[in-house]
Amino acid sequence: MSSRADILARVKTNKPKLLNIPNIALDVFEDGRDLLKEFTVKVETAGGQVFETQSKDLVVGEVQKLFPEAKVNFSTLENTEDFNTINLEAIKTPHDLEDLDVLIVESNVGVAENGAIWLNDALLPMRILPFITKHLVVILKKDDLVTFMHQAYQKLNGEDTGFGVFLSGPSKTADIEQSLVIGAHGALSLSVFLV
Amino acid sequence: MSHSKAATIFNKDEKKVNWHDKALWFVRHKRDKSVHSVEGWENLRNLGQGIKAHMLSNLDNYLIQFEEKALKNGVQVHWAKDGDEHNKIVHSILKEHNAKKVVKSKSMLTEECHLNPFLEADGIEVIDTDLGERIVQLAKEPPSHIVLPAIHKTKEEVDELFQEHLGTKPCGGDPQYLTGEARKHLREKFVNADAAITGVNFAIADTGGFVVCTNEGNADMGAHLAPVHIACMGIEKIIPKQEHLGVFLRLLGRSATGQHITTYSSHFRKPREGAKMHIVIVDNGRTEQLSRPDFRASLQCIRCGACMNTCPIYRRSGGHSYDATIPGPIGSILSPGKDLKKHSSLPFASTLCGSCSDVCPVKIDIHAQLYKWRQIITKEMKQPFVKKVSMEMMGKMFAKPSQFEKVGMVARWSLRNLPKSVINSKPNVWGRERDLPKGPKESFDEWYKNRKKNE
Amino acid sequence: MKIGLFIPCYINQLYPQVGKATLELLEKLDVEVVYPLGQTCCGQPMANSGYERESLGACNNFVEKFKGFDYIVTPSGSCAYHVKKHFDIIPQTAEVIKLRKNVYELCDFILNVLKVKNVGARFPHKIGIHKSCHGLRGLRLGSCSEKVTEEYSYIGELLKEVSGAEIIELSRQDECCGFGGTFAVTEEAISVKMGKDRIQDHLDNGAEVITATDTSCLMHLEGLVTRNNQPLKILHIAEILNSVN
Repeated sequence: MSSRADILARVKTNKPKLLNIPNIALDVFEDGRDLLKEFTVKVETAGGQVFETQSKDLVVGEVQKLFPEAKVNFSTLENTEDFNTINLEAIKTPHDLEDLDVLIVESNVGVAENGAIWLNDALLPMRILPFITKHLVVILKKDDLVTFMHQAYQKLNGEDTGFGVFLSGPSKTADIEQSLVIGAHGALSLSVFLV
Repeated sequence: MSHSKAATIFNKDEKKVNWHDKALWFVRHKRDKSVHSVEGWENLRNLGQGIKAHMLSNLDNYLIQFEEKALKNGVQVHWAKDGDEHNKIVHSILKEHNAKKVVKSKSMLTEECHLNPFLEADGIEVIDTDLGERIVQLAKEPPSHIVLPAIHKTKEEVDELFQEHLGTKPCGGDPQYLTGEARKHLREKFVNADAAITGVNFAIADTGGFVVCTNEGNADMGAHLAPVHIACMGIEKIIPKQEHLGVFLRLLGRSATGQHITTYSSHFRKPREGAKMHIVIVDNGRTEQLSRPDFRASLQCIRCGACMNTCPIYRRSGGHSYDATIPGPIGSILSPGKDLKKHSSLPFASTLCGSCSDVCPVKIDIHAQLYKWRQIITKEMKQPFVKKVSMEMMGKMFAKPSQFEKVGMVARWSLRNLPKSVINSKPNVWGRERDLPKGPKESFDEWYKNRKKNE
Repeated sequence: MKIGLFIPCYINQLYPQVGKATLELLEKLDVEVVYPLGQTCCGQPMANSGYERESLGACNNFVEKFKGFDYIVTPSGSCAYHVKKHFDIIPQTAEVIKLRKNVYELCDFILNVLKVKNVGARFPHKIGIHKSCHGLRGLRLGSCSEKVTEEYSYIGELLKEVSGAEIIELSRQDECCGFGGTFAVTEEAISVKMGKDRIQDHLDNGAEVITATDTSCLMHLEGLVTRNNQPLKILHIAEILNSVN
């Protein structure tokens, strides 16, 4: 018997009687907190920064002020050729992105309860981008904020993406004596611009 | 070595015990702060428990559904009965791609299967990329905690280890500097890797996708750079629907470290263009555990490590004292199912205080299972003669009130009249560091009878 | 209302003063208490050591002595919990079912059955409450720090009404003391360390007295306090609630 058949047969024999699947009712979680305030606090708790801005078009200018030293930049926004120092078409392997200083991308879901932001294949020309960049900037519409993860998944339902990530703050570790250090393997900083 | 022996050795250095206890209590404290801010936390735990219990009751169908969807997504799916088969499958995938350099993010399953030595024996370099795991890998030690693998190491020890292996400068254990150096060292490994191995936190039956959670971004750095991604999962990692992630991702990070969610919750569904993705589904004793009604709930575990952080014994004995892939309370109910003889001391490494069960995000009745394993172990494993006989004697004594009275009288007399040197002589382990009560002249029984007489 | 008083084996033999205080306290509260002679033990020492099968005689003797009472009250959360949780190893007759339902830890009984909060005690001291685990997480005699529930504590509610009593706050409000039955001996190093750490927490926060719903925890703590000459008095909650000066 193949291992597949063997494992499935053993599960079938050994599993308990079918139990009902619980229904997720959301009303018990309602805490009446302010979406925007909560999201901001949670991004900051996770080590990121939140900025409010009037328009998407202003973000590049603000980012240039935030990272004046940056040499290698890329943005997925339209009309940012002046900002972009690399051409993704010319990039053969993801490894060539190793020197990327600043990346600007857009997100379509933000979660207030934990400051998580959704990025997926449709929003990322290459999956490695938000991880390999030194500084990550994400633009999010205030209207795309939801309270809990439950609503976030309701929004993602039916989205057929090959890869997606909920990202909360810059990369971090506390593996040396529980001392929090920002900047492990992924981005060293996260800035969220709310439009 | 039994847990108590290993714990005794660990306790020879009381300062280190205090340090270890405080480090983990700090994590438990952060967990408390974060879960107490969640409205409906206990409802969330109920949901986590309910979904997992349902999953186990329909696991074969969900596995089939998961495989079907994963195949449609262009992912190759493999099945392994045990650790050995798992290792061979991973090895053959690596061979097929001529992969010599592998980066691996945290996966307790690959620890359980001893994948690293298996691959290393064939000259394949396997680098653990989680910082804590890299630390213990350099130290040639197993992880002592499933979420904080190097929690037993002081920063000074890490400093020395990095000086020796990574050529860092002495820094007095500066975590910022050491982490920075590890980032550089591992960045080089990521960029040059031929293949990436990750674990799986959740595998979703209705999409064929799987989720990997890290704080460091090491799973993503590996998987998105290397041409091959191999994800290894136990059969119990399945959840029915993507929307159930809403429950589990709310529970996991908070329970593990007090974070409201881990930094990266990466949802893999299809390989990126030009790359390959493999999933290895492993049994290795899980179906057997599923067959045990008293213990199958242990398969609900989402590996948050909260039971370790809260356990007063774990905090004071260190993860290595359990001599098992998964240490602490959850390990003590999983491990006996795999090797009862080797792990027979673990269910006794508990006061049955129940803190583990109350902290568990999926409500596994850990302490009740410890109690049940004890009943099995005393039947199936040879017990110390003294323990066996004393239990039988106690059983008989408590069944017969007259005998209980006589024994009690002798015991009280001895405690009252024998010199302390005799009472606290070697066979009395209690007396090494603790006094026994002074035996009262009258038991409550006798006092009550006298009072009745005088009424 | 007919109440059977259950005095656990080690209290009977080693801490009769706790039994006396319990009985006197209940009598003060004007309830009819009977202490059935010939009682021994709930069976827990064997069962928790993995020898549940050796505890059958103890269970049967317990049922024999306590059937027929409306309530069974005991100054031990741990023993009450054992009867409730683990008496499933004997046939579940109507008697056994009733008995398991009606066994109460002392504070729980006073507060929730007798509905008395102020027992008229006076005890002018700084008191640290050790929340014994089986009472806390088994019988739910109070909220525990792991769960997100409303805060409550039966022992705390009764102590609050004791004249002169001052309850101190602990750094770790409900960590185990490390007694754990035979654990105290088989895992001696950890058991002792846990006990020492608990005592230090009480000392650091200014306790003069440590109290609890379980004498087993207290015996372990007292053993350490006595050996190490520490300035703490160890008293069962019944002794405090029965105290008038």
